[in-house]
This record gives sequence, C-alpha cells and structure tokens, in this order.
Amino acid sequence: MSNQDTFFALADFLIPAHGKMPKFSDVCGYADVEKSLDFRIDLKPGFARGIAVDPANGAEACLESLNQQDGEAFSAITTIAIATYYMSPRVRELIGYPGQENVPYDSKETQIYLTDGSLGHVIARGRKYRPTPGL
Amino acid sequence: MTVEVLADRSARTRRDEEVDVVIVGAGPSGSVAALHLARAGISVIVLEQGEWPDYADFTGARPEHELVSTKLWHPNPNVRDNPNDYPVDTSTTDINPLMFAGVGGSATLYGAQWMHFLPSDFRVRSMDGVAEDWPFSYEDLLPYQLEIEREVGVSGLAGDPAYPPRGAYPFPALPMGSVGQRGALGMEKMGWHWWPGSNAIPSEKFGDLNPCVRRGTCLTGCPEGAKSTSDRSHWPLALKAGARLVTRARVKEIETNEQGLATGVVYVDANGRDRRQRAKVVILCANGVGTPRLLLMSGKAGNPDGLANSSGMVGKRLMMHPFASVLASYQDPLDSWRGPFGQQVYSLEFYETDESRGFVRGSKWNCMPSGGPVGVSGATGSKVYVAESGRFQDFWGANLHENVARRFGHSLIWGIVGEDLPEESNQVVLSKDMTDSDGLPAPQIVYKVNENSNRLLKFNIDRCLESVRAAGAIETLVSTPVRESGWHLIGTTVMGDDPKRSVVDQWGTCHDVPNLYVMDASTFPTSGATNPTATIMAVALRNTRRMIAERRNQKVA
Repeated sequence: MSNQDTFFALADFLIPAHGKMPKFSDVCGYADVEKSLDFRIDLKPGFARGIAVDPANGAEACLESLNQQDGEAFSAITTIAIATYYMSPRVRELIGYPGQENVPYDSKETQIYLTDGSLGHVIARGRKYRPTPGL
Repeated sequence: MTVEVLADRSARTRRDEEVDVVIVGAGPSGSVAALHLARAGISVIVLEQGEWPDYADFTGARPEHELVSTKLWHPNPNVRDNPNDYPVDTSTTDINPLMFAGVGGSATLYGAQWMHFLPSDFRVRSMDGVAEDWPFSYEDLLPYQLEIEREVGVSGLAGDPAYPPRGAYPFPALPMGSVGQRGALGMEKMGWHWWPGSNAIPSEKFGDLNPCVRRGTCLTGCPEGAKSTSDRSHWPLALKAGARLVTRARVKEIETNEQGLATGVVYVDANGRDRRQRAKVVILCANGVGTPRLLLMSGKAGNPDGLANSSGMVGKRLMMHPFASVLASYQDPLDSWRGPFGQQVYSLEFYETDESRGFVRGSKWNCMPSGGPVGVSGATGSKVYVAESGRFQDFWGANLHENVARRFGHSLIWGIVGEDLPEESNQVVLSKDMTDSDGLPAPQIVYKVNENSNRLLKFNIDRCLESVRAAGAIETLVSTPVRESGWHLIGTTVMGDDPKRSVVDQWGTCHDVPNLYVMDASTFPTSGATNPTATIMAVALRNTRRMIAERRNQKVA
C-alpha cells in the first residue's frame, strides 16, 4: 500500500460515510491533501511519519498507535483530514456552511429586543451595580 | 499623505538624538500615549518588536481559515512560533498567557469585547475586604473612558442597569443575531441580567475602520479592517501628528544614570544590531508579561533584582482571569458561524460579591457564536471540549458527523470571565533555560488558579447550565478552566501610594525612577472581571494627560 493509500485508509476511518455525509475519499483527492499541507507546512514532518505506518493491522490500530506513541503525527493526520474534508464544497453544501460569509446589515434597523419587551424586562428588574461615591 | 507613506518615513532617530519620550510597545496603551503626546508637541518615538499587520494575511474570508488560523493566528506565542514574538516558559502555570507582538498589539487577536470596569472594581478592599482599592475611582476614570470610546469607535447600547448612567455609544450596537437572541432568551427565562453586546467594532464606517460585516473571525484578525485596533484607530493620527514608530525593535534594557534616572533604552533592530535610543522619559506599554520582563532584564549592579523594584513587587500579583466556557447546542438553526464574534450579549448578573455563594467578587459572561465545523467538532485543534482521557474514537467516525450535525450552526458559547484576586505567588520571572530569538531570557509564568477562582467558576458554570437548558439546549459541553485563556495580563507592576508595597503611583510613574512610566494593565491593583482593554486605554489616556500637564515639572536625566 502506498503512503497515499495509507492516508486515505486512515482518513476514511476517521471520516466514514454516515447518513447523507460522504466518506473522506469520496470528496477529497490527494491534491486537496497536499494543498492543505502547503497551508500548514509545520504539520508536514508529523504527517509524513503518520502515513509511513504499517497499515497491516488496520486503520483503527494504526491511529491508536499514533495517538499513544506519536501525538504530533496523530495531530497532523487528523488536522489535515478534518480541515480538508470541511473545505470541500460538496461537504459545505451538505452541512449548509457558506464559509465565514459577509452579511451586510442596516446599523439603523431597530433591533427586536427593543420592540418585543425583552430588554424592557431587564431594565425593569432595576439597578445591578453597587455605587461607590464616598468610598 | 497616506499612512503607508508616513509609516515608511525613516523612523529611527539620528545617532545620539535624544527624544522627549520613548515608548516601548505599539499596542492599545502605547498607541494612546503616542497619539496624545505627539499632538501636544512632544517628540515621541515608539519601539515595537512586531510589525505592521498585513490584512491580506488574515484568512477569515477564505476556505482554509480554520486550518491556517489555528497556527498562524493562534494567540499563544509558543504555538504561533513567530520570531517577532518572544516565547514564554509555561511549565509552571495553570493558564497560558496569550499575546501578539505587532502594531496594534495583542488586540490584533482580541474579540473586541468592550467593557468598562464597574464602580466596585475600584473599591474591592472597602466593599469586600479583599486586595486593595485603586487610588482613583470609577467616576474619576469615566471621562477618559468615554473619550477613548470615541477614538476607538465603539458600538453599543446605553442604558444598561448594571452600570451607572453614561452617555451614548459612538455607534449603534451590532446586530444581535440568532446566537445572541438565544443566549438572551435563557437569561430572560431565569430572570437574570443581560444586555446587547458592546464591541470595539464600529457598526458604520469610521475613519480608517470599515463597518463590520459579521465575518465572525475577530479572534484571528479581521480581514475587513472593521475591528478596531490601534494600527487603524490611533496610528494614522499619531503618525500625522509627528510620532515616529520603529518596528522589529525589541527593547532589551532600560538604561539609567548614577542618579537613578532613565536615560533611554537599548534595543535590537531588525538586523540584529544593538541600538541605543536616548530619551528624557521612558514609558513601558509592553503588557503584563513584557513590562515586568523588561524591568527584570534591566537589573544591573545597582539593581540586582531589576529596575524600579525596591518594593520587590515587579512581576508579582499576576492576574489572568480564569476562564470557563459552556457550549450549548439547540434544535433550531442559529447560524452560529456568523459574527460579531466578541459578544452578541453579555451578562453581569453575578458580577458583585454575594458571600452566600462561598467566594468573593464575581464574573462577566459573554455570548459568542461557536464558529465553523472543525472547531465545533471538538476533534482537533485546541481540544477545548476534549477530555485528556477521552478515546479518539469518541470524536471521529460516525461520532464526528453526529457531533457536527448537532453543533454546527446550532450552538452558542457562553464565555465566563472570573475576577482573579492578586497573589504575590502568581508572578512573572525570567526563565533560566528559555530565550527569545535574540538570546534574551524568556519570561516564565508561575501561576496557580486559586480556590476562590475555582469556587467562582463552578458556581457560574452551574448557573450557566441552568440558563442554556432553560432556553432549550439539547447538549452542553463545559471546559474549565480553559488553559489557553490568558488574554488578560494584569497586575505585575502594581500602582499604589506606598513605595514599599507598589511599583508605580496612580499616574504610572515608577516610585524608584521618576522619569520611567508604566501605562499598561501591569499597574492595575485588581483585575475586575470585565475585558480590560477599555480600562487599559482609559488609564493610559489619564496618565498621558497628566504627563503633558506636568511636563515642566518632569524630572529628567
């Protein structure tokens, strides 16, 4: 198994298909993974160690071993997997995430708490602070 | 002339040129001092170890935001690993100090929650029998608070019954959003105090600040240039007024003469060369860790325990506001990636002392959106909600999808800031093992969360859980105390009237060195429980005004 295949095996264990959600390898290619690594070059050494593990015992055992013995590699593998997955346009569409979007608003618009009486309740409950003049 | 052109002017002084004032640090307090001193015709130069922010580097609007920001814009300098920062030895602390070196200072990565201290914060000894009263009162500081708000461009709604009456905010409050409305609903169900958030984010165009577009990435730098940081609010004006700013200038020592007066500073420039900046007055604005570090590094033969430290208090009484967070998920969509991040709602219900609770002083809560899918998964990153003993399988596989489906877009976070009482055992010292990129000793933090804070946080978490459940929460996750939460660095060069028990007087003047000042939160005798930037800038303005008024009486070398 190539290192790329090892990563996909680990990533698909971490992020399998579930309900409407696809597994990792259904929506992310290795080019996406490399792009993520280019954003986080600090993770590359740990990632390289993580995908060099012997996958003979299965993905879960590999990840358990990394988690116990090489936290840096485990963190690199999991960080790249989850970040790459949730950058996928298809995944974002499925969970309803437009990204950190620009939401213009009218600063003069009357806020609902001023008209539904809720803020009035706070005011009606009276003063909260302890005055200190003379102290 | 543009700010860029002004900033590009040769800022360094001529060899041996003496300026009236040299300021160490271009963050919130240093920026206020520089602007007002320059406007008064005083020659001022500011030395900043970081650089000007490049807004193109703020990734909030890009898909890779959650991946990049957890490294590049992490508030812990040890994680960020940027050579412009200094590392911090955190081997002896329960809470990691968070900070950022650059023009604008640590506010570059703050949530912009804008809160005044309350009247009782200045009178804790008189009212609650703990710590010390401040040398001045809430009422003394209020005019400066209001003036700073106008300079910063704060948005908010006046009339909060948790505060004495005050004037209007410069700009209308930012939209509350579904997150804030749900947070307020829980408080309303309990009959507790809440108020629309006040933030250092103008809701309309203001000077060099753009109106907020609710991107929700305040904590990792605002790509819109909407969050008010002093690189936009103060520095354009300060440069026009004649202040000079040298970046990548790391001050290593404050120099003094035989009479014990400051004569200037020595700094390491961008090329690694030592340079001397002579000045009649030195002002430290390097935060509650950097300022005592510099004073301790300035210890020479005559000052083996550091400069301005005859009291032995330099570095002691560090307060960092132990912090807890409660994430609550709801069935209904809350669009909880949308900003403003800082605080859509805050509560001061439990701010004041009630001895029946088993602790003194209190807390401030702020309601925030929970962010993107990676963050709310709890599976990676800061692991705020992941127990150390947790099996990794709990956060991956089908659990990942279910956790994200339940929390993403459906959750809010209440941040609980607890007042931190001063203790001399909590302190900043110089590390014996760790150095920065210039070989200078790193600060070491010696800090334990005390029993009062533990009780305070437990009480507040229990109340917070009641509130979010009253509003229909289907899942709650608690983290306490959050280790990566030392945003507020307070108390390490305490102000007071007694030179034997304090480092500076009420104007920030060092008792031992009358032409050396401290104008950051290091001087605060107590921490309050609100976000301190408003008070930091107001105290800096008060001190600066006094310095200008007394300039003819200033003792200099």
